[in-house]
Amino acid sequence: MTPPDTESKEPIAVSTPDSTGQSQSINPGPSTELGPASAEETPDISALGAPKPKGAGHNVVLKGLNAYYGQQHAIKGVDLTFPAGEVTAIIGPSGCGKSTMVRCINRMHEEIPGAYAEGSVTLDELDVYAAGVDITSVRRLIGMVFQKPNPFPTMSIFDNVAAGLRLTGTRGENLRETVHKALRAVGLWGEVKNRLDKPGIGLSGGQQQRLCIARTIAVEPEVILMDEPCSALDPIATLKVEELIDELKERYTIVIVTHNMQQAARVADTTVFMLDGELIEHSPTSELFTKPKDERTERYVTGKFG
Amino acid sequence: MQETRSNYRESLKQLERQTLEALDMVVQALDRALEAVSYQDVELAGMVVADDDRIDGRYLEVHQGILSLLALQTPVATDLRIVAALLHVIRHAERMGDQCVNIAKLLPLSGYEAPKDKDLLDAIERMGQLARAQVSQSKQAFAERNPQLAYDLLRQDAEINQLNIDIFNRALAIGDDIETREWAMHMILVARCLERIGDNAVDIGEQTAFVVTGLFREFADASHPA
Repeated sequence: MTPPDTESKEPIAVSTPDSTGQSQSINPGPSTELGPASAEETPDISALGAPKPKGAGHNVVLKGLNAYYGQQHAIKGVDLTFPAGEVTAIIGPSGCGKSTMVRCINRMHEEIPGAYAEGSVTLDELDVYAAGVDITSVRRLIGMVFQKPNPFPTMSIFDNVAAGLRLTGTRGENLRETVHKALRAVGLWGEVKNRLDKPGIGLSGGQQQRLCIARTIAVEPEVILMDEPCSALDPIATLKVEELIDELKERYTIVIVTHNMQQAARVADTTVFMLDGELIEHSPTSELFTKPKDERTERYVTGKFG
Repeated sequence: MQETRSNYRESLKQLERQTLEALDMVVQALDRALEAVSYQDVELAGMVVADDDRIDGRYLEVHQGILSLLALQTPVATDLRIVAALLHVIRHAERMGDQCVNIAKLLPLSGYEAPKDKDLLDAIERMGQLARAQVSQSKQAFAERNPQLAYDLLRQDAEINQLNIDIFNRALAIGDDIETREWAMHMILVARCLERIGDNAVDIGEQTAFVVTGLFREFADASHPA
Protein backbone atom coordinates (compact mmCIF):
# COMPACT_ATOMS: atom_id res chain seq x y z
CA MET A 1 0.00 0.00 0.00
CA THR A 2 1.28 3.42 -0.88
CA PRO A 3 1.34 5.99 1.87
CA PRO A 4 -0.89 9.02 1.32
CA ASP A 5 0.59 11.66 -0.90
CA THR A 6 2.25 14.31 1.17
CA GLU A 7 4.58 15.69 -1.41
CA SER A 8 3.36 19.20 -1.04
CA LYS A 9 4.15 19.29 2.67
CA GLU A 10 6.90 21.71 3.47
CA PRO A 11 9.35 21.08 6.30
CA ILE A 12 9.69 24.74 7.05
CA ALA A 13 6.66 25.90 8.96
CA VAL A 14 5.41 28.36 6.39
CA SER A 15 2.04 28.23 4.71
CA THR A 16 2.25 25.20 2.51
CA PRO A 17 2.05 25.75 -1.23
CA ASP A 18 0.05 23.32 -3.28
CA SER A 19 2.40 21.86 -5.84
CA THR A 20 -0.31 20.17 -7.86
CA GLY A 21 -1.05 21.82 -11.13
CA GLN A 22 2.40 23.26 -11.44
CA SER A 23 4.29 22.32 -14.52
CA GLN A 24 6.78 23.69 -16.93
CA SER A 25 3.99 24.49 -19.33
CA ILE A 26 3.06 27.54 -17.27
CA ASN A 27 6.51 29.02 -17.68
CA PRO A 28 6.01 32.56 -18.92
CA GLY A 29 9.14 32.59 -21.04
CA PRO A 30 11.54 30.19 -22.68
CA SER A 31 13.63 28.18 -20.28
CA THR A 32 17.14 29.37 -19.74
CA GLU A 33 18.13 26.01 -18.29
CA LEU A 34 20.51 25.32 -21.15
CA GLY A 35 21.10 28.92 -22.10
CA PRO A 36 24.51 30.56 -22.28
CA ALA A 37 24.13 31.97 -18.78
CA SER A 38 24.17 28.47 -17.33
CA ALA A 39 26.76 26.97 -19.63
CA GLU A 40 29.70 28.02 -17.49
CA GLU A 41 28.15 27.89 -14.07
CA THR A 42 28.91 25.14 -11.63
CA PRO A 43 27.63 24.90 -8.09
CA ASP A 44 29.91 26.88 -5.80
CA ILE A 45 29.75 25.24 -2.42
CA SER A 46 32.58 27.40 -1.14
CA ALA A 47 30.02 30.21 -1.09
CA LEU A 48 28.75 28.58 2.07
CA GLY A 49 32.09 28.99 3.85
CA ALA A 50 35.03 26.71 4.57
CA PRO A 51 34.35 22.99 4.07
CA LYS A 52 33.79 20.95 7.17
CA PRO A 53 36.73 18.76 8.11
CA LYS A 54 36.16 15.12 7.24
CA GLY A 55 34.07 13.36 9.84
CA ALA A 56 33.01 16.63 11.47
CA GLY A 57 29.46 16.43 10.14
CA HIS A 58 26.48 14.86 11.78
CA ASN A 59 25.39 11.25 11.78
CA VAL A 60 21.76 10.25 11.72
CA VAL A 61 21.12 7.01 13.57
CA LEU A 62 17.91 4.99 13.45
CA LYS A 63 17.43 2.40 16.17
CA GLY A 64 14.58 -0.08 16.20
CA LEU A 65 12.50 2.22 14.04
CA ASN A 66 8.92 1.10 13.45
CA ALA A 67 6.36 3.17 11.60
CA TYR A 68 2.64 2.64 11.21
CA TYR A 69 -0.27 3.96 9.22
CA GLY A 70 -3.02 3.00 11.65
CA GLN A 71 -2.98 -0.81 11.64
CA GLN A 72 -0.54 -1.05 8.81
CA HIS A 73 3.06 -1.73 9.87
CA ALA A 74 5.09 0.19 7.26
CA ILE A 75 8.60 0.13 8.76
CA LYS A 76 9.60 -2.97 10.66
CA GLY A 77 12.41 -2.50 13.13
CA VAL A 78 15.06 -0.71 11.08
CA ASP A 79 18.54 -0.06 12.53
CA LEU A 80 20.59 2.17 10.29
CA THR A 81 23.27 4.86 10.39
CA PHE A 82 23.50 7.61 7.81
CA PRO A 83 27.11 8.78 8.09
CA ALA A 84 28.09 12.43 7.85
CA GLY A 85 29.72 13.53 4.63
CA GLU A 86 28.21 10.67 2.70
CA VAL A 87 25.29 10.15 0.40
CA THR A 88 23.10 7.21 1.30
CA ALA A 89 20.59 6.06 -1.30
CA ILE A 90 17.48 4.10 -0.45
CA ILE A 91 16.06 1.86 -3.15
CA GLY A 92 13.25 -0.66 -3.24
CA PRO A 93 9.94 -1.32 -4.96
CA SER A 94 6.97 1.01 -4.50
CA GLY A 95 5.39 0.68 -1.10
CA CYS A 96 8.49 -0.83 0.52
CA GLY A 97 8.71 2.02 3.04
CA LYS A 98 11.54 4.12 1.58
CA SER A 99 9.67 7.43 1.74
CA THR A 100 8.06 6.59 5.05
CA MET A 101 11.47 5.91 6.55
CA VAL A 102 12.94 9.26 5.51
CA ARG A 103 9.78 11.05 6.64
CA CYS A 104 10.33 9.56 10.07
CA ILE A 105 13.75 11.22 10.21
CA ASN A 106 12.33 14.78 10.26
CA ARG A 107 9.03 13.81 11.88
CA MET A 108 6.92 14.38 8.82
CA HIS A 109 5.46 10.89 8.98
CA GLU A 110 3.32 11.75 11.99
CA GLU A 111 1.65 14.58 10.05
CA ILE A 112 -0.52 11.98 8.33
CA PRO A 113 -3.69 11.21 10.32
CA GLY A 114 -3.34 7.88 12.12
CA ALA A 115 0.36 7.59 11.40
CA TYR A 116 2.93 7.17 14.14
CA ALA A 117 6.47 5.94 14.71
CA GLU A 118 8.29 4.05 17.46
CA GLY A 119 11.95 3.57 18.17
CA SER A 120 14.61 6.23 18.05
CA VAL A 121 16.01 8.67 15.54
CA THR A 122 19.01 10.67 16.67
CA LEU A 123 21.02 13.41 15.05
CA ASP A 124 24.27 13.14 16.98
CA GLU A 125 23.07 13.72 20.57
CA LEU A 126 19.71 15.16 19.60
CA ASP A 127 16.88 12.69 20.07
CA VAL A 128 14.49 13.76 17.35
CA TYR A 129 11.52 12.14 19.08
CA ALA A 130 12.29 13.29 22.64
CA ALA A 131 9.45 14.96 24.53
CA GLY A 132 9.58 18.71 24.25
CA VAL A 133 11.65 18.77 21.07
CA ASP A 134 10.55 21.62 18.83
CA ILE A 135 9.48 20.03 15.54
CA THR A 136 10.16 23.20 13.59
CA SER A 137 13.76 23.28 14.73
CA VAL A 138 14.10 19.56 13.91
CA ARG A 139 12.95 20.35 10.40
CA ARG A 140 15.33 23.26 10.16
CA LEU A 141 18.20 20.91 11.00
CA ILE A 142 16.86 18.18 8.73
CA GLY A 143 15.77 19.74 5.45
CA MET A 144 13.80 18.00 2.77
CA VAL A 145 13.56 18.14 -1.01
CA PHE A 146 10.57 16.59 -2.73
CA GLN A 147 9.77 14.74 -5.92
CA LYS A 148 8.03 17.63 -7.63
CA PRO A 149 9.72 21.00 -7.31
CA ASN A 150 7.42 22.98 -5.03
CA PRO A 151 8.45 26.64 -4.92
CA PHE A 152 5.94 28.86 -3.15
CA PRO A 153 3.83 29.84 -6.15
CA THR A 154 3.09 33.40 -5.13
CA MET A 155 6.64 34.25 -4.13
CA SER A 156 9.53 35.63 -6.12
CA ILE A 157 12.75 33.66 -6.63
CA PHE A 158 14.39 35.69 -3.86
CA ASP A 159 11.50 35.28 -1.42
CA ASN A 160 11.36 31.53 -2.04
CA VAL A 161 14.89 31.15 -0.74
CA ALA A 162 14.38 33.77 1.96
CA ALA A 163 11.14 32.30 3.34
CA GLY A 164 12.71 29.96 5.88
CA LEU A 165 15.37 32.49 6.83
CA ARG A 166 12.80 35.16 7.66
CA LEU A 167 11.20 32.74 10.12
CA THR A 168 14.50 32.46 11.93
CA GLY A 169 14.67 36.22 12.19
CA THR A 170 17.27 36.90 9.51
CA ARG A 171 16.81 40.36 8.04
CA GLY A 172 18.35 42.98 5.79
CA GLU A 173 21.84 42.64 4.31
CA ASN A 174 22.41 39.40 6.17
CA LEU A 175 19.32 37.91 4.54
CA ARG A 176 20.31 39.13 1.09
CA GLU A 177 23.81 37.71 1.51
CA THR A 178 22.58 34.29 2.63
CA VAL A 179 20.06 34.02 -0.22
CA HIS A 180 22.76 34.88 -2.76
CA LYS A 181 25.12 32.33 -1.25
CA ALA A 182 22.48 29.60 -1.39
CA LEU A 183 21.71 30.41 -5.03
CA ARG A 184 25.42 30.28 -5.85
CA ALA A 185 25.79 27.00 -4.01
CA VAL A 186 23.17 25.33 -6.20
CA GLY A 187 24.62 26.80 -9.39
CA LEU A 188 21.55 28.93 -10.04
CA TRP A 189 22.97 32.41 -9.44
CA GLY A 190 24.05 33.18 -13.00
CA GLU A 191 20.69 32.03 -14.31
CA VAL A 192 18.50 34.08 -11.96
CA LYS A 193 20.53 37.05 -10.69
CA ASN A 194 18.77 39.45 -13.06
CA ARG A 195 15.29 38.31 -12.19
CA LEU A 196 15.30 37.68 -8.47
CA ASP A 197 11.98 39.47 -8.14
CA LYS A 198 10.26 37.28 -10.74
CA PRO A 199 8.04 34.35 -9.64
CA GLY A 200 9.84 31.14 -8.69
CA ILE A 201 7.40 29.11 -10.71
CA GLY A 202 8.57 30.93 -13.86
CA LEU A 203 11.72 28.83 -13.81
CA SER A 204 12.11 25.53 -15.63
CA GLY A 205 11.49 22.32 -13.72
CA GLY A 206 15.18 21.68 -13.18
CA GLN A 207 15.78 25.26 -12.05
CA GLN A 208 12.79 25.06 -9.71
CA GLN A 209 14.22 21.95 -8.11
CA ARG A 210 17.58 23.63 -7.59
CA LEU A 211 15.68 26.63 -6.19
CA CYS A 212 14.03 24.28 -3.69
CA ILE A 213 17.44 22.87 -2.77
CA ALA A 214 18.70 26.45 -2.30
CA ARG A 215 15.70 27.12 -0.01
CA THR A 216 16.57 23.99 1.95
CA ILE A 217 20.25 24.80 2.43
CA ALA A 218 19.65 28.52 3.12
CA VAL A 219 18.60 27.71 6.68
CA GLU A 220 21.85 25.77 7.17
CA PRO A 221 20.53 22.33 7.95
CA GLU A 222 22.77 19.43 9.00
CA VAL A 223 20.94 16.79 7.00
CA ILE A 224 19.20 16.92 3.63
CA LEU A 225 16.56 14.32 2.85
CA MET A 226 15.66 13.98 -0.81
CA ASP A 227 12.61 12.03 -1.84
CA GLU A 228 13.01 11.20 -5.53
CA PRO A 229 14.32 14.68 -6.27
CA CYS A 230 14.86 14.02 -9.99
CA SER A 231 11.90 11.92 -11.00
CA ALA A 232 10.10 14.92 -12.51
CA LEU A 233 13.23 16.29 -14.23
CA ASP A 234 14.71 15.80 -17.69
CA PRO A 235 18.06 13.98 -18.00
CA ILE A 236 20.23 17.13 -18.13
CA ALA A 237 18.49 18.72 -15.14
CA THR A 238 18.83 15.37 -13.38
CA LEU A 239 22.58 15.29 -13.96
CA LYS A 240 22.88 18.86 -12.65
CA VAL A 241 21.08 17.93 -9.45
CA GLU A 242 23.28 14.83 -9.12
CA GLU A 243 26.39 17.00 -9.56
CA LEU A 244 25.04 19.26 -6.87
CA ILE A 245 24.40 16.35 -4.49
CA ASP A 246 28.01 15.31 -4.94
CA GLU A 247 29.14 18.85 -4.07
CA LEU A 248 26.78 19.19 -1.12
CA LYS A 249 27.84 15.99 0.59
CA GLU A 250 30.99 17.57 1.95
CA ARG A 251 28.79 19.82 4.12
CA TYR A 252 25.68 17.77 4.75
CA THR A 253 24.56 14.28 5.53
CA ILE A 254 22.46 13.35 2.51
CA VAL A 255 19.78 10.71 2.21
CA ILE A 256 18.19 10.18 -1.19
CA VAL A 257 15.21 8.00 -1.98
CA THR A 258 15.22 6.99 -5.61
CA HIS A 259 13.45 4.64 -7.98
CA ASN A 260 16.28 5.07 -10.43
CA MET A 261 18.89 2.47 -9.57
CA GLN A 262 21.40 4.04 -11.92
CA GLN A 263 20.97 7.28 -10.02
CA ALA A 264 21.71 5.50 -6.76
CA ALA A 265 24.74 3.94 -8.44
CA ARG A 266 25.94 7.37 -9.63
CA VAL A 267 25.46 9.47 -6.51
CA ALA A 268 25.50 7.28 -3.43
CA ASP A 269 28.41 6.11 -1.30
CA THR A 270 26.29 3.43 0.29
CA THR A 271 22.94 2.05 -0.77
CA VAL A 272 20.12 0.60 1.29
CA PHE A 273 17.72 -1.91 -0.20
CA MET A 274 14.29 -2.16 1.44
CA LEU A 275 11.47 -4.59 0.90
CA ASP A 276 8.10 -4.75 2.68
CA GLY A 277 9.21 -2.32 5.38
CA GLU A 278 12.39 -4.23 6.19
CA LEU A 279 15.96 -3.23 5.61
CA ILE A 280 17.32 -6.09 3.50
CA GLU A 281 20.80 -4.88 2.75
CA HIS A 282 23.02 -1.86 3.36
CA SER A 283 26.28 -2.02 1.42
CA PRO A 284 28.81 0.20 -0.30
CA THR A 285 27.11 1.11 -3.57
CA SER A 286 29.65 -0.50 -5.86
CA GLU A 287 29.33 -3.72 -3.87
CA LEU A 288 25.55 -3.70 -3.87
CA PHE A 289 25.46 -3.43 -7.64
CA THR A 290 28.22 -5.95 -8.40
CA LYS A 291 28.04 -8.41 -5.53
CA PRO A 292 24.87 -8.05 -3.47
CA LYS A 293 24.84 -10.14 -0.32
CA ASP A 294 21.17 -10.95 -0.28
CA GLU A 295 19.33 -12.95 -2.92
CA ARG A 296 16.39 -10.50 -2.76
CA THR A 297 18.69 -7.55 -3.50
CA GLU A 298 20.12 -9.50 -6.42
CA ARG A 299 16.66 -10.14 -7.80
CA TYR A 300 15.61 -6.52 -7.43
CA VAL A 301 18.68 -4.84 -8.94
CA THR A 302 18.84 -7.27 -11.86
CA GLY A 303 15.15 -6.63 -12.53
CA LYS A 304 14.00 -10.16 -11.82
CA PHE A 305 11.02 -8.75 -10.02
CA GLY A 306 9.49 -5.32 -10.17
CA MET B 1 7.00 -12.55 -7.97
CA GLN B 2 6.69 -12.26 -11.68
CA GLU B 3 9.65 -12.82 -14.02
CA THR B 4 10.54 -9.63 -15.89
CA ARG B 5 12.95 -8.49 -18.59
CA SER B 6 12.52 -11.68 -20.60
CA ASN B 7 14.25 -10.31 -23.73
CA TYR B 8 17.23 -9.22 -21.70
CA ARG B 9 17.44 -12.58 -19.97
CA GLU B 10 17.26 -14.36 -23.30
CA SER B 11 20.05 -12.15 -24.74
CA LEU B 12 22.27 -12.90 -21.78
CA LYS B 13 21.68 -16.64 -22.08
CA GLN B 14 22.27 -16.45 -25.81
CA LEU B 15 25.63 -14.71 -25.27
CA GLU B 16 26.67 -17.40 -22.82
CA ARG B 17 25.63 -20.15 -25.28
CA GLN B 18 27.60 -18.50 -28.06
CA THR B 19 30.65 -18.16 -25.83
CA LEU B 20 30.58 -21.74 -24.58
CA GLU B 21 30.05 -23.01 -28.13
CA ALA B 22 33.32 -21.30 -29.01
CA LEU B 23 34.97 -23.71 -26.54
CA ASP B 24 33.40 -26.61 -28.48
CA MET B 25 34.97 -25.18 -31.63
CA VAL B 26 38.31 -25.10 -29.81
CA VAL B 27 37.95 -28.78 -28.86
CA GLN B 28 37.27 -29.62 -32.49
CA ALA B 29 40.27 -27.60 -33.70
CA LEU B 30 42.45 -29.21 -31.05
CA ASP B 31 41.33 -32.73 -32.06
CA ARG B 32 42.25 -32.04 -35.65
CA ALA B 33 45.56 -30.41 -34.79
CA LEU B 34 46.52 -33.38 -32.60
CA GLU B 35 45.52 -35.85 -35.28
CA ALA B 36 47.60 -33.90 -37.78
CA VAL B 37 50.59 -34.11 -35.41
CA SER B 38 50.17 -37.85 -34.83
CA TYR B 39 50.04 -38.67 -38.54
CA GLN B 40 52.04 -35.72 -39.83
CA ASP B 41 48.93 -34.80 -41.85
CA VAL B 42 49.75 -31.45 -43.41
CA GLU B 43 46.41 -31.16 -45.24
CA LEU B 44 44.41 -31.61 -42.06
CA ALA B 45 46.67 -29.00 -40.47
CA GLY B 46 45.72 -26.62 -43.29
CA MET B 47 42.04 -27.09 -42.41
CA VAL B 48 42.73 -26.18 -38.81
CA VAL B 49 44.30 -22.92 -39.95
CA ALA B 50 41.43 -22.10 -42.30
CA ASP B 51 38.74 -23.00 -39.78
CA ASP B 52 40.11 -20.66 -37.15
CA ASP B 53 38.18 -17.88 -38.89
CA ARG B 54 35.04 -19.37 -37.36
CA ILE B 55 36.39 -18.95 -33.84
CA ASP B 56 37.61 -15.43 -34.62
CA GLY B 57 34.18 -14.61 -36.06
CA ARG B 58 32.52 -15.92 -32.93
CA TYR B 59 34.81 -13.76 -30.82
CA LEU B 60 33.72 -10.64 -32.72
CA GLU B 61 30.07 -11.65 -32.49
CA VAL B 62 30.16 -12.16 -28.72
CA HIS B 63 32.22 -9.01 -28.21
CA GLN B 64 29.67 -6.93 -30.12
CA GLY B 65 26.79 -8.64 -28.32
CA ILE B 66 28.31 -7.80 -24.95
CA LEU B 67 28.85 -4.16 -25.90
CA SER B 68 25.20 -3.91 -26.95
CA LEU B 69 23.99 -5.59 -23.79
CA LEU B 70 26.05 -3.22 -21.62
CA ALA B 71 24.82 -0.17 -23.52
CA LEU B 72 21.17 -1.16 -23.73
CA GLN B 73 20.45 -3.21 -20.63
CA THR B 74 22.97 -2.11 -17.98
CA PRO B 75 23.42 -5.49 -16.34
CA VAL B 76 24.29 -5.43 -12.61
CA ALA B 77 25.11 -7.88 -9.81
CA THR B 78 25.54 -11.52 -10.92
CA ASP B 79 24.50 -10.59 -14.46
CA LEU B 80 27.30 -8.03 -14.61
CA ARG B 81 29.81 -10.59 -13.35
CA ILE B 82 28.65 -13.07 -15.98
CA VAL B 83 29.04 -10.48 -18.73
CA ALA B 84 32.53 -9.50 -17.53
CA ALA B 85 33.49 -13.18 -17.31
CA LEU B 86 32.13 -13.94 -20.79
CA LEU B 87 34.34 -11.22 -22.20
CA HIS B 88 37.34 -13.05 -20.71
CA VAL B 89 36.13 -16.52 -21.67
CA ILE B 90 35.59 -15.61 -25.33
CA ARG B 91 39.04 -14.01 -25.39
CA HIS B 92 40.58 -17.19 -23.97
CA ALA B 93 38.69 -19.29 -26.52
CA GLU B 94 40.06 -17.09 -29.29
CA ARG B 95 43.60 -17.49 -27.87
CA MET B 96 43.22 -21.27 -27.64
CA GLY B 97 42.06 -21.32 -31.26
CA ASP B 98 45.22 -19.43 -32.17
CA GLN B 99 47.34 -22.01 -30.33
CA CYS B 100 45.73 -24.76 -32.43
CA VAL B 101 46.68 -22.72 -35.51
CA ASN B 102 50.24 -22.40 -34.19
CA ILE B 103 50.44 -26.20 -33.79
CA ALA B 104 49.05 -26.70 -37.29
CA LYS B 105 51.51 -24.26 -38.82
CA LEU B 106 54.47 -26.12 -37.30
CA LEU B 107 53.73 -29.32 -39.23
CA PRO B 108 54.73 -28.35 -42.79
CA LEU B 109 58.04 -27.12 -41.36
CA SER B 110 59.02 -30.67 -40.45
CA GLY B 111 58.11 -32.03 -43.88
CA TYR B 112 55.94 -34.97 -44.83
CA GLU B 113 57.93 -37.63 -42.96
CA ALA B 114 56.29 -39.72 -40.26
CA PRO B 115 56.91 -38.79 -36.59
CA LYS B 116 60.40 -39.76 -35.48
CA ASP B 117 60.19 -40.83 -31.85
CA LYS B 118 57.44 -42.88 -30.25
CA ASP B 119 58.12 -41.82 -26.63
CA LEU B 120 58.06 -38.17 -27.51
CA LEU B 121 54.93 -38.55 -29.65
CA ASP B 122 53.19 -40.50 -26.85
CA ALA B 123 53.92 -37.67 -24.44
CA ILE B 124 52.55 -35.09 -26.93
CA GLU B 125 49.40 -37.17 -27.42
CA ARG B 126 48.94 -37.56 -23.68
CA MET B 127 49.38 -33.82 -23.25
CA GLY B 128 46.87 -33.20 -26.06
CA GLN B 129 44.29 -35.42 -24.37
CA LEU B 130 44.77 -33.58 -21.09
CA ALA B 131 44.49 -30.18 -22.77
CA ARG B 132 41.32 -31.30 -24.54
CA ALA B 133 39.85 -32.57 -21.27
CA GLN B 134 40.73 -29.27 -19.60
CA VAL B 135 38.94 -27.22 -22.25
CA SER B 136 35.83 -29.40 -21.93
CA GLN B 137 35.97 -29.27 -18.17
CA SER B 138 36.40 -25.48 -18.14
CA LYS B 139 33.26 -25.24 -20.26
CA GLN B 140 31.31 -27.59 -18.02
CA ALA B 141 32.43 -25.81 -14.85
CA PHE B 142 31.36 -22.44 -16.24
CA ALA B 143 28.01 -23.72 -17.54
CA GLU B 144 27.25 -25.39 -14.19
CA ARG B 145 28.71 -22.53 -12.11
CA ASN B 146 30.77 -25.18 -10.35
CA PRO B 147 33.85 -23.69 -8.65
CA GLN B 148 35.08 -27.10 -7.39
CA LEU B 149 35.18 -28.44 -10.91
CA ALA B 150 36.90 -25.22 -11.99
CA TYR B 151 39.51 -25.52 -9.27
CA ASP B 152 40.17 -29.14 -10.27
CA LEU B 153 41.58 -27.78 -13.57
CA LEU B 154 44.67 -26.82 -11.62
CA ARG B 155 45.39 -30.48 -10.82
CA GLN B 156 45.21 -31.41 -14.50
CA ASP B 157 47.27 -28.42 -15.44
CA ALA B 158 50.06 -29.57 -13.12
CA GLU B 159 50.24 -32.82 -15.10
CA ILE B 160 50.40 -30.92 -18.39
CA ASN B 161 53.20 -28.76 -17.06
CA GLN B 162 55.17 -31.83 -15.98
CA LEU B 163 54.73 -33.42 -19.44
CA ASN B 164 55.96 -30.19 -20.98
CA ILE B 165 59.18 -30.49 -18.98
CA ASP B 166 59.49 -34.21 -19.82
CA ILE B 167 59.12 -33.46 -23.53
CA PHE B 168 61.78 -30.82 -23.35
CA ASN B 169 64.20 -33.22 -21.65
CA ARG B 170 63.39 -36.02 -24.06
CA ALA B 171 64.00 -33.71 -27.02
CA LEU B 172 67.38 -32.69 -25.62
CA ALA B 173 68.44 -36.32 -25.38
CA ILE B 174 67.03 -37.42 -28.72
CA GLY B 175 70.37 -38.05 -30.46
CA ASP B 176 72.43 -36.78 -33.34
CA ASP B 177 70.20 -37.31 -36.37
CA ILE B 178 69.54 -33.83 -37.77
CA GLU B 179 66.01 -34.51 -39.02
CA THR B 180 64.95 -36.19 -35.79
CA ARG B 181 66.33 -33.30 -33.79
CA GLU B 182 64.51 -30.79 -35.97
CA TRP B 183 61.26 -32.70 -35.51
CA ALA B 184 61.86 -32.87 -31.77
CA MET B 185 62.41 -29.10 -31.62
CA HIS B 186 59.08 -28.62 -33.35
CA MET B 187 57.47 -30.95 -30.83
CA ILE B 188 58.82 -28.73 -28.04
CA LEU B 189 56.93 -25.87 -29.66
CA VAL B 190 53.78 -27.99 -29.99
CA ALA B 191 54.08 -28.88 -26.32
CA ARG B 192 54.40 -25.21 -25.48
CA CYS B 193 51.13 -24.48 -27.36
CA LEU B 194 49.34 -27.26 -25.48
CA GLU B 195 50.70 -25.98 -22.20
CA ARG B 196 49.30 -22.51 -23.02
CA ILE B 197 45.89 -24.01 -23.85
CA GLY B 198 45.92 -25.62 -20.39
CA ASP B 199 46.69 -22.23 -18.83
CA ASN B 200 43.81 -20.62 -20.71
CA ALA B 201 41.47 -23.34 -19.44
CA VAL B 202 42.61 -22.59 -15.86
CA ASP B 203 41.91 -18.89 -16.51
CA ILE B 204 38.37 -19.79 -17.56
CA GLY B 205 38.11 -21.72 -14.30
CA GLU B 206 39.10 -18.55 -12.44
CA GLN B 207 36.31 -16.69 -14.22
CA THR B 208 33.85 -19.37 -13.09
CA ALA B 209 34.93 -18.86 -9.49
CA PHE B 210 34.55 -15.09 -9.98
CA VAL B 211 31.00 -15.42 -11.28
CA VAL B 212 30.02 -17.59 -8.33
CA THR B 213 31.83 -15.84 -5.48
CA GLY B 214 32.20 -12.27 -6.75
CA LEU B 215 35.89 -12.39 -5.86
CA PHE B 216 38.58 -12.69 -8.47
CA ARG B 217 41.73 -14.49 -7.52
CA GLU B 218 44.24 -16.45 -9.52
CA PHE B 219 44.19 -20.17 -8.74
CA ALA B 220 47.97 -20.25 -9.09
CA ASP B 221 50.35 -17.34 -9.24
CA ALA B 222 53.13 -17.99 -11.75
CA SER B 223 55.27 -15.13 -10.42
CA HIS B 224 54.92 -16.24 -6.77
CA PRO B 225 54.62 -20.03 -6.89
CA ALA B 226 53.51 -21.68 -3.66
